[in-house]
Parts: sequence; structure tokens; C-alpha cells
Amino acid sequence: MELIINLLINGLATGMLIFLLAAGLTLIFGLMDVLNFAHGGLFAWGAFSGVWFYGLTNSFTVAIIGAILTGIVLGFITEKLIITPVYGNHIQQILITLGFMIVLSEMLKVVFGPNQLAAKTPPLLSGSWEIGDVIIIKYRLFIIIVGLIVFGVFQFILKRTKIGLIVRAGVMNKEMVQALGINIKQVFLYVFMAGAALAALGGALMAPYSGVVYAEMGMEFAILAFIVVVIGGMGSFPGSLLAAILVGLAGSFMAYYVPALSLAVNMMLMAIVLIFRPQGLFTAKG
Amino acid sequence: MKTKFQVNNGILIVIVAALAVFPFVSDSRTWTILLTQIFIFSILAMSYDILLGYTGIVSFGHAMFFGMGAYATAIMLNRIEPTLGVFFLSIAVGMVIAGILSFLIGLLTLRLKSHFFAMLTMAVSGLFLVLAEKWRTLTQGNDGFTFRAPEFFKDRMMFYLLVLACLVLVYFFLRRFVNSPLGRVLIAVRENEQRTKSLGFQTLHYKVIASVIAGVVASLAGSLYAISLRFVNTSVLTMEITLDALLMTIIGGVGTLIGPIIGAGVIELAQHYLSGLAKDYPIFERWIIFFGIIYILAVIFFPKGIVGTIRYAYWKRKNNDLKVDVPAPKRKELIK
Repeated sequence: MELIINLLINGLATGMLIFLLAAGLTLIFGLMDVLNFAHGGLFAWGAFSGVWFYGLTNSFTVAIIGAILTGIVLGFITEKLIITPVYGNHIQQILITLGFMIVLSEMLKVVFGPNQLAAKTPPLLSGSWEIGDVIIIKYRLFIIIVGLIVFGVFQFILKRTKIGLIVRAGVMNKEMVQALGINIKQVFLYVFMAGAALAALGGALMAPYSGVVYAEMGMEFAILAFIVVVIGGMGSFPGSLLAAILVGLAGSFMAYYVPALSLAVNMMLMAIVLIFRPQGLFTAKG
Repeated sequence: MKTKFQVNNGILIVIVAALAVFPFVSDSRTWTILLTQIFIFSILAMSYDILLGYTGIVSFGHAMFFGMGAYATAIMLNRIEPTLGVFFLSIAVGMVIAGILSFLIGLLTLRLKSHFFAMLTMAVSGLFLVLAEKWRTLTQGNDGFTFRAPEFFKDRMMFYLLVLACLVLVYFFLRRFVNSPLGRVLIAVRENEQRTKSLGFQTLHYKVIASVIAGVVASLAGSLYAISLRFVNTSVLTMEITLDALLMTIIGGVGTLIGPIIGAGVIELAQHYLSGLAKDYPIFERWIIFFGIIYILAVIFFPKGIVGTIRYAYWKRKNNDLKVDVPAPKRKELIK
């Protein structure tokens, strides 16, 4: 029983981190049909800048805010320089965002050095609680809570505000939204920046969880996020949460019971979904 | 009316002959090795161009087939015996495995839209990388293993000639392939898949054939690569190999066969010299960054690549000479 609870918490924490990455990806895709292969790079930048700010100020709050700001700035640059010039051409988009991914991760090595950096857990969140036989690591619980808060906030924005309405309408039919006189490219820029900020937040939270940050982590997590987006359905925000939790749980249980299959299980999940339900488990609804 | 700029066979023969006698004239080891490397990557880049340039599909899993060939050759030479016969057998084995694999993957994934296909190939090739790292009894993971090459290749020159011969054969084979009716259908798929479908072609079949051909040729390149290093580790399966092929194809010119060869030459030479510069300027240790930037700029401003641009200029001049009023080429950007 304790084992199952621990695996559950592990899985949920990993799932939340993947969700933060996948949420931006899915909205960006749903709104403008842009698949951003550089998203993992933003995640890695968030992780590195989080560690850097934490080392500088010794305050985890500042570290997270710093990482989010880095994400927003990089998101702005990416959208303006990389996405806009090739807008509408899928193959060029895929090629160019992958190129930018390389530049982002190499830039990390130039700025922060080629070696991996150690990341410390803030004292307030380190340690664990023991309830009976169950040991709950505080930081993992913290990640889960942050993930749920982010989901709640974004869900509120999407469902209750004007901009959320525009985004949801844009996902459904962007030509119609444009015809109603809304500058969808402007909205897309905001969504892109918000997605980048979420990715960077995910990276900053990831750093103390794994203990080290390295430039290749972006690509590793991006692959998981792609799987999540495919399973959850492109453009579906709740779908990405559920799929991320599914992938996180499948990973953590498989890693314990059948370690050899822990990565393969996600691929298999994705392959099955793609063959039988290519649009994903959840389709984007308004 | 033949307005297309075609590479003259005569010029090709002269170039190949010059390359063939090169090692007899110059005894520069560095150049022999560098040229061998360029030839091997030319084969890989050409196979990638069958997908990207001729069929218009982006695969991020090409390293998988390259690695398949490299491992097939390395493992068989290591386990059985390092003779020429085993070497050729291992090439065949690698090709067959790569062919079956690309057939299965293609059948499952090619019906999806370009985004999904790119993602899925990336994921599957990531899976193979992990598999190779975990299956240590066979591959020895990231540490890799060295093996003895057949006696025949002790002389670098022999190997150089073999690789050159392979390059020429592959070039002519692929040129025949893309000019065949089958290849024409692939180009039609690139230009407008919907329309090709409505003309009655089952486009999925053609795309699977393209992916099998590309996979088999990539596996040949992998086998040769393994011999050239006499060592293999999991780096042959990494994304970097796919990216190299992608860069060479884009810079050289998509949708041409000479383009990837030129691209391979440019990239390998630049890599050689830039990493040489790293001794004086530390920034060049991260030379990949320059490639990333050049690559992004190439995708935005130079989508036809070196050969494509020359071909277009030639096309325009020819039409100006004729003094006919031809409309500007309606052809969409080549890699669309």
C-alpha cells in the first residue's frame, strides 16, 4: 500500500511537470497549427535560469519568477524571429523550430558552461513527512500543488475571461474569429509567451526535483510532452493534463515493476492512440 | 522543351575519375579520411533527400536506419570473423533489417499529418537509442566497442575507393529511381497530395516505398561509417546524425541529388576547419551554434539550397534568352 502511494505521488509529480510543458505546446498547436519543436529548449532555459537565480539570491520565489520572465522573453523572441517568417508552411516550421532548439541548447552551454549544474532544493521544501509507513517527499507534493494551481488558473482564464473566449474560439475556427475583427496573431503572440512561461516554470520546478540540470534535458522532456500532446489531443487543455498524468503514472509504475519497459510504455501508448484514435483521446472543444 | 539544368554525365565522369585517382596522387592521410567521410555522409544525405526533397515528408528518425547498418556491420564483424565476405553479408543484413523496420514504421505512421509523423519518428528513434543503451550484452551501450576491419581495408585507399564506388552506384540508382514513373508520383505527392490521391494513386503506398528506399540506403551509409571508424557506440543512433543529414540536404539543395553531396562536402569541411579554429577561439568549440543559425537563415531566406538556387538562376536565364514571355515559375518553394 505504501509503495503504491509513493509510486502514485512520483507519477503525479512527473506528470505535472510534463503537463506544464505540454500545456503550452497544445495551445500553441491548437490555436495556430504550429508545432513548436523548440519548446524543450525553453524548458531547459527555465531550469538553468532558475538554478542561476537561486544561486544568486538564495530565494526560491525569485528563482521561479526569474525563470518565468526568462521564458516570456524567450517566447517573445521565438515567436517574432522564428515562427512568424515561416507561418503557414508546416514543413518549414518543423525544420526551423528544430534548428532553434539546437541553438537554444547550445547557447545554454555557452552561457552556463558545458557541464551539468547541481540544483538545490530550498530548505522549506526539502525533507519529507511520515504518515504511518507512508513517506511523502515534500517537494513532490509541492510540484503537484503548483501544477494543479496552474491548471486552475489557466482553466479560469480560458473559461471566464474575454481573452480566454477568443483563444477557445480561435482553437475551434480561427478564420471566423479573424472575420469578426480580432487580431488573432496578437492573441497568438500572448498564447505563445504564456506557453513559453509555463515551459520555463516547469523547468525551474524540475531542477530541484532531479537534482541536476543539463542542456539535453530539454529534448528528453520535449519527447514526453509530444507524446502527451498526441495522447491528449492537440489543442485540448484538460486533455493534456489527463494525458500527462497518465504518462507520468505509467512511467513511475513501469519503472518499478518492469524497468526495461519504462520508456517503451509511453511509445506504446502513443502508438495505440495514434492508430485507433488519431485525433487524441480528447478533442478540442470550445 | 528541356529547360531544366541537368548535371552533365560527362562532367560527372571527370569528377569521379579525378576523385578516384586522388589517393594515388596525393598521400595526404587527412584528406583521404575526410573525403571518405564526405562520401559516406553524402550517401546518407541523399537517402534523406528522397524523403524530404522528393516526397516532402520530414522524418526525425533517420539515424535509426543509419545506426542499424552500423551496428549490423560492427556486431557481425566482431562476432563472426573480420573477412570481406562477412562484411558484405553484414551490409545485406543491415539493409534487410532497415528495410523491414522502415516498412513497418512507415505503414503505421505515414498516414498521419506531417507534424505527427515528425514527432513519431523522433520518438521511435529515441526508443531505439534507449534500447541500444540498455541492451549492453549486444551493443555495450555508450562505451561502444572496437572491432577489426577486414584485412582488405587495412589500406585506407582501398576503403576510399569502395566508398566512392558505393556513392556513384547509389547516386545512379537514386537518379534512376526519382526519374522513374514511381519517382514522378512521389514528386506529385510532394506538390499536392490531395490531388495525387484524387488522380487515383494510393499515396500511402508510394510514401512507404520512399521510406523503405531511404531506410535501406541509410543503412548502407551506416555500415560504411562503422568500418571507417572501426568502432561503434550509441552515438550512431542519436539525433545528431539525423540533424547532420538534414543540414546537408537543406544547405546543398532539397529535391536534387547533387545538392546533398555538395551539402555533405560543405558541412564536413566546415566542421573540420571550424573545430580546428577552436584552439585559438574557444567559441568555435560550440561550432554547432553557427550551424544552427546558418540552418535557420537557410530555411528562411535560402530554401532552395545551393544547387536549387543555381538551377533556378539557370532556368531564368535560359528563358530570358528565348525572349518568350514565360510566367514566373509557379512552383511552390521546393520544400513545401
